[in-house]
Amino acid sequence: MEKDPLPDLRDEDLVAMCQRGERRAFDILVLRHMRRAYQIAFDFTHDYEEAKDLSQEAFLRAFSQINRFDGRSAFYTWLYRIIVNLCLDHHRRRGRFPWQRLNGEAPQTGEEREPATAASTPDQEAMAGEVKQRLGTALEGLPKSQRTAFLLRNHEGLSIPEIANVMQTTEGTVRVHLHRAVAALRQSLTGLA
Amino acid sequence: MAQQKHSPQPACRDFEETLVLYYYGDCEGPERDRAEEHLKACSSCSHFLAELGTFLPLMAKPKEFPQSFWDNYYGELRRKLAAGDPRESWWGGRFSWLRPLAVPALGAAMIVILALALPFTATIWRPQGQPGEEAAPQEIRTVAKNLDFFESMDLLESLDLLEALEEAKARNGHGQKL
Ligand SMILES: [Zn+2]
Repeated sequence: MEKDPLPDLRDEDLVAMCQRGERRAFDILVLRHMRRAYQIAFDFTHDYEEAKDLSQEAFLRAFSQINRFDGRSAFYTWLYRIIVNLCLDHHRRRGRFPWQRLNGEAPQTGEEREPATAASTPDQEAMAGEVKQRLGTALEGLPKSQRTAFLLRNHEGLSIPEIANVMQTTEGTVRVHLHRAVAALRQSLTGLA
Repeated sequence: MAQQKHSPQPACRDFEETLVLYYYGDCEGPERDRAEEHLKACSSCSHFLAELGTFLPLMAKPKEFPQSFWDNYYGELRRKLAAGDPRESWWGGRFSWLRPLAVPALGAAMIVILALALPFTATIWRPQGQPGEEAAPQEIRTVAKNLDFFESMDLLESLDLLEALEEAKARNGHGQKL
């Protein structure tokens, strides 16, 4: 795997190079952002193959539209916006993802399954499974805006201003979406022992 | 000992949103001070915050992949980029200046076509057709498919509208689909 060969260059510099036709600069943007891009797509799809296809498609679109990138936002928030749009569209076309895929199915690359903790009893494991099932179902049932805000904050650790940038909305709106999402998820655990 | 069923106690109404932000570390300055002051005195809100700390981290587990996974990912994407680079094809270079205009122009064209086609096709097709999906004329279905495509270009732009449409669609069942 190549390391970032131009670590001193900012994303904006690389984008400017791409816009001048230096394609190699885009490869470096891919190197820098592919892990996060893939992870975001995985958060939305819970499927390793679909996450790969959608995140790669986002890079292809970003590359083909690089001349339209005006630098008003950071390159990565622009890229994330493309990914989220693709994921939402994919979700809309294929319907809901089953809760069973909350943890995804391991790809063929040798990823290990989560080990059970030594202290966990069958009861505790069953409970953890029930909690995850409920949360997964509740997450899938959230309106897209709430789900997007929640995944970007909870799973990806983006700040409220960054999410507002990705969703092109106000920080206040993101706060409201995030709060509603968390409240709905918490509500889904009602009645658990 | 009997286990207690979980029933979420409400946090104070005015604080719940702030507490969610506080949990994520997005609360600053006076808002943070106010939240901390309140948490000292309010057990419901403290309980709420503690609960967030138990279930929210369960949901976010970043996946770790071996280096070979990323090597393959990067290699595959570079091949796709090379294969799809419009600058490497003759038309891509010549007409690249048109690209920014393409989507709005096509979108506008589709709307005009739809506006013109709707009354015309309705007169022709209505007497023969069955109601519902099968009755939709091919032209309309094609236009609808294309509109669907344009709609998907930027879902985030119009999420609120789309969510309202989806709700309406769900309420009306499948009868309204083209
Ligand atoms: Zn309180």
